[in-house]
Amino acid sequence: MMSQILPRGTVDNDEEGFSSVTVRCVLFQLDSEVYGINVKKIREVLRVGQIREVPGASNHVIGVINVRGVIVTVVDGRGMYHLPAKQTDDDSRIVIIEIDDDTSVGLMVDRVIEVKDIPESCVDLMAENREGRSAYIQGVAHYQDNVIVLVDTDVMFSVVR
Amino acid sequence: MDEEILQDFLVEATELLDQLNEQLVDLENSPDDSNLLNTIFRGFHTVKGGAGFLGVSSLVQVCHRAENVFDKIRNQEVAYDADVADVILRAFDQISRIIGELSDGVREFDDIDPVLLDELDAIVKGEVQEAAQTSSAITVIPEVSLSLPDGVDPDGEISDDEFEALLNQRDQLLGEPSQPANEPKLQLPEGVDPDGEISDDEFEALLSQRDLLLGAEHKPQDLPQASPAVKPKPKAPIKKSAEPSVPAASKAAGESTVRVDTRHLDAIMNLVGELVLVRNRLLTLRSAEASLEDISNAVGNLDHVTTDLQASVMKTRMQPVKKVFGRFPRVVRDLARKLGKDIDLELVGEETDLDKGLVEALADPLVHLVRNSVDHGIEMPDVREDAGKSKTGRIVLAAEQEGDHILLSITDDGKGMDPDMLRRKAVEKGMMDEASANQLDDKQAFMLIMSAGFSLAKQVSDLSGRGVGMDVVKNMITKLNGSIDIDSAVGEGTRIKIRVPLTLAILPTLMVSFGHDSYAIPLTSVQEIFDYDANKTNTIDGQTMVRLRKKSLPLFFLAEWLRPGHFDDQRKGDKIVIVSIGNQRVGLVVEQVNGQEEVVIKPLGVMLQNIKGYAGATITGNGNIALILDLPGLIERFK
Repeated sequence: MMSQILPRGTVDNDEEGFSSVTVRCVLFQLDSEVYGINVKKIREVLRVGQIREVPGASNHVIGVINVRGVIVTVVDGRGMYHLPAKQTDDDSRIVIIEIDDDTSVGLMVDRVIEVKDIPESCVDLMAENREGRSAYIQGVAHYQDNVIVLVDTDVMFSVVR
Repeated sequence: MDEEILQDFLVEATELLDQLNEQLVDLENSPDDSNLLNTIFRGFHTVKGGAGFLGVSSLVQVCHRAENVFDKIRNQEVAYDADVADVILRAFDQISRIIGELSDGVREFDDIDPVLLDELDAIVKGEVQEAAQTSSAITVIPEVSLSLPDGVDPDGEISDDEFEALLNQRDQLLGEPSQPANEPKLQLPEGVDPDGEISDDEFEALLSQRDLLLGAEHKPQDLPQASPAVKPKPKAPIKKSAEPSVPAASKAAGESTVRVDTRHLDAIMNLVGELVLVRNRLLTLRSAEASLEDISNAVGNLDHVTTDLQASVMKTRMQPVKKVFGRFPRVVRDLARKLGKDIDLELVGEETDLDKGLVEALADPLVHLVRNSVDHGIEMPDVREDAGKSKTGRIVLAAEQEGDHILLSITDDGKGMDPDMLRRKAVEKGMMDEASANQLDDKQAFMLIMSAGFSLAKQVSDLSGRGVGMDVVKNMITKLNGSIDIDSAVGEGTRIKIRVPLTLAILPTLMVSFGHDSYAIPLTSVQEIFDYDANKTNTIDGQTMVRLRKKSLPLFFLAEWLRPGHFDDQRKGDKIVIVSIGNQRVGLVVEQVNGQEEVVIKPLGVMLQNIKGYAGATITGNGNIALILDLPGLIERFK
């Protein structure tokens, strides 16, 4: 599924025609939209196993899982973007995101699609002054007929920490 | 600065400072102890040597002066009285501060308060003038470093070229000590052959001089550089803004290294060897057709080895309680002096070992309790005399191991507490009505001082008002799964006892469950378990109570809290677990009791740490996650 890696320094076929720097992202789906997170932020992608509920936790927290002896919080990706809830199924995955060296958090997504190199020139960064709606969104990439929402994991997990 | 050397230095210096902290106070009590004097002298000397090597000139300045003072004291030219001690202790505080900052990652230091340096010099010079031979070269330092313009830091990074220049300069100075052209008047002690071997003292002096030069040389070199290269200027503000975050981060991490006896390591290695053998045994059993007996033998073996291994690894985390106690002589001394009280502090059982995490966690509550004893417990000397007691008050700080707990006690022979007065006070403060206040027995009355908003002090002094009330102390101890017990008699004194488990990492728990969800209740708070029987419950004022041996205890249905929506009315087979929370006993209704289990506490993940009621999570024998309940927090959350 891995898309072909664009050789560095070559001219990309985008309109401006200058050589592009790419961001390698893990693409996943929430509801009908495609989202992307920089691979540098991601430790691993797990199948959904047993999730232990934590009574009293905020609504977006599904529960905790045991990742090789470390207790990791699982956050509902749909909840974060105010999408309707959905039962987990065989396609559901937990994306483990590194917050810093010691802490990581799991993000429940509907489906992990692929790893893709997105040219930075395709990315429209979100204006910082747009409040509310742009929360957790770094920018939007229009690439190969896809609209990819780039998730700002730093903001997503600093607010709620 | 070479990081590796720096780290070695920090480890050594921190240890030395810990010792010095105690020794300095000891010395005040026995000023004639020449061994002690020599040890202290060597302590400052060693720190100075390391600091000089690393080029932390401000540290060298203070240490050197302190060393000079102790040299005088050693030669009995100066007496170590309380006033000298005050200055020395202030110098010591400066040294601790710089060492602390060094380990927090700060690499640039302000100059030491010149007043302090002058006072130190005054002690040295005040008595005898001519013996200032070693210090003659050093006294130049304040002039030079003080003349540095603001913003230029003598310890800032220097370029290779600058360093070369400095080296040359130093060589020149060392080679031609009497060269008059040089601004900083460096003097080798007379009769020293520049090419001959040098003694330790001379070497020290040279080191100090070199540091002086490093400091002085920055003045001409840094200033012109500031405008074209713009290097030093932007650096200062960046450092400033970064500073507050750095100590905060490292504070949280606590001490990162531990010294371990190699015998402990050998024992662990040995056990790991055993563990490998057991593994091999199990692997062979898997492939061959093994009898059940063989397997259970191997598993039994595994059980033994892991238990021993666990104990051994725990031992490496153990540290003597001395680490906490060591700071108290100083705390008590300073406070007593400030209040004009006369107090002897006795430390008992300093060698008792406890978990490293506990050592750190206990420090703050203990400081508060000891300060309380000094401030509120011990009376003024004249009051004591009138009461027929010795003028000098006595505080005993003791630690001992009691099974799998540590018992700490703070005992003073002060004025004690009057339970009736406490009861009255509780009523005055509106914490309870008179009837319930009168029902409290003496112990419960004493515990009132641990309640939030209950201050014994008629007026808040700056000593007690450190933002840590007794209620905070109690909360901290409760968090460590410990308990507090107070005993007091009017006119005779007060004893506060703290019991904490030996270790924080492993917690004996009672496993309970609701359906598939299991929870762990810390075993220390569990008192008894019996079957739920609706006939034995009453509802009093909306609160369900359970009768237990002619007492009614409040009953909480955990399932209602933990699984709202899954509420099951059928309580057949439910159990009641009686737990003690603080001084209160309550019953918890659970669906199932699964028995005891020792669990390893793991922190709950992000976004969950602020939920009240959980102390963490753990992974049970069957691989599931169990949540560890923090009962005080849980009760609070649902009250």
